[in-house]
Amino acid sequence: MSESTALPWPGNGSRPGVTDADLLARTAGGDTAAFSTLYDRISPWVYGLVRRVLRNPAQSEEVTQEVMIDIWRTASRFDAARGSAHSWILTIAHRRAVDRVRSEQAASDRTELVGARNAEVDYDEVSDTVTTRLEAEQVRRCLGTLTDLQRESITLAYYNGYTYLEVAHQLDAKLPTVKARMRDGLIRLRDCLGTTKGGTP
Amino acid sequence: MTEADVHTLTGPYVLDALPDDERTRFEAHLAECPFCTAEVAELREAAIKLATQVEEAPPLHLKTNVLKAIENVRQLPPVVAGTPDAVAARRYSRRSVFALAAAALVIAGAGGVAVDQYREKNAAVEVNRQMAAVLAQPDAKTSHGGITGGGQATVVRSARADAVVVVLHDLRKPPSGKVWQLWLMDASQKARSIGLTSGDLATVIQGGVVGQTTFGLTEEPRGGSPAPTTTPVAAIAL
Repeated sequence: MSESTALPWPGNGSRPGVTDADLLARTAGGDTAAFSTLYDRISPWVYGLVRRVLRNPAQSEEVTQEVMIDIWRTASRFDAARGSAHSWILTIAHRRAVDRVRSEQAASDRTELVGARNAEVDYDEVSDTVTTRLEAEQVRRCLGTLTDLQRESITLAYYNGYTYLEVAHQLDAKLPTVKARMRDGLIRLRDCLGTTKGGTP
Repeated sequence: MTEADVHTLTGPYVLDALPDDERTRFEAHLAECPFCTAEVAELREAAIKLATQVEEAPPLHLKTNVLKAIENVRQLPPVVAGTPDAVAARRYSRRSVFALAAAALVIAGAGGVAVDQYREKNAAVEVNRQMAAVLAQPDAKTSHGGITGGGQATVVRSARADAVVVVLHDLRKPPSGKVWQLWLMDASQKARSIGLTSGDLATVIQGGVVGQTTFGLTEEPRGGSPAPTTTPVAAIAL
């Protein structure tokens, strides 16, 4: 039986009191102070993720700003029954970053910027707070439980914004294989992280 | 595209790795597939944890810009509760539905799945419906566990429905002449057989569930045994 290993995660008990879901609900009601607090909590994740996908700092700022405005604009559409506040926010952020990659793609060959097969994360990029360290290490440990193909398929897509077609090309793997490894890799990651039971608010 | 093909797209979709046209098609499919929607929600919770690896504080002036910008941005009104969309979303919001959907779709695809009684597609639909009924119970509890030698078991138990849903995924083939046997055990370790399989399985067991505390899976001679004769490859507390 897999152990339940709930991560400390902002809004998931690591900060008692107001959760990010609460802040989103207040934001939906036009509460700019709540939005400001929410910004402080989540912007390092949003910016870090966008920056990782896009690399370019100026573009990353632009997209982060778009994401934060989008969160303000669409906060009423967040539904805690359908997933966590973090999932909702980071889904918006990742989608926006990837869409920007694709619109830029015609202009430049990004593989030069990204570096071939460079799916590993430079650990110096991770901030030093204890909570972040703990959860980041658990994620890294769980990534280590995946097969190479699962891990590379997931990280090339998530961190580099590749389509599964690009991932398959990069890894010299068949398309159905890459699609399947993305899915079963995420399932394994989910099981390792213990994110199944009781979603984060 | 077959149903099984569509189903594996949850992974690439969650990673935003589908090209635009395939993404659009998959989103149309999602609107009609509550199980896929549940799987997407669940895999997303895992995928977004990858962001913990790349946290980075944005430049300070960005916050000023954002707070200034939102002064000029009108917020969307809430979605009115009770619309069919909102109701459907809540009904299937329970986590862990995904593995069940996976198995159900594998069965619907029927490609070499060695579970004869469920090979008919309408039987799969019926299993799907029964699973949804168990999952919808307020006391439904999901347990996961690994299977020794490979594979995953997911068991959802509801005392109210007096039913368990069992999903076995990526189960290896049993040795020649052997079969996997599924058991429910009570606190006194008394085991009751609930079925045999030689591969991946999704099934609903109705009745006799109250008082059962453990799900077990053992390798047995073909035809099964009246009681477990080998060490369980999976034993999951319910």
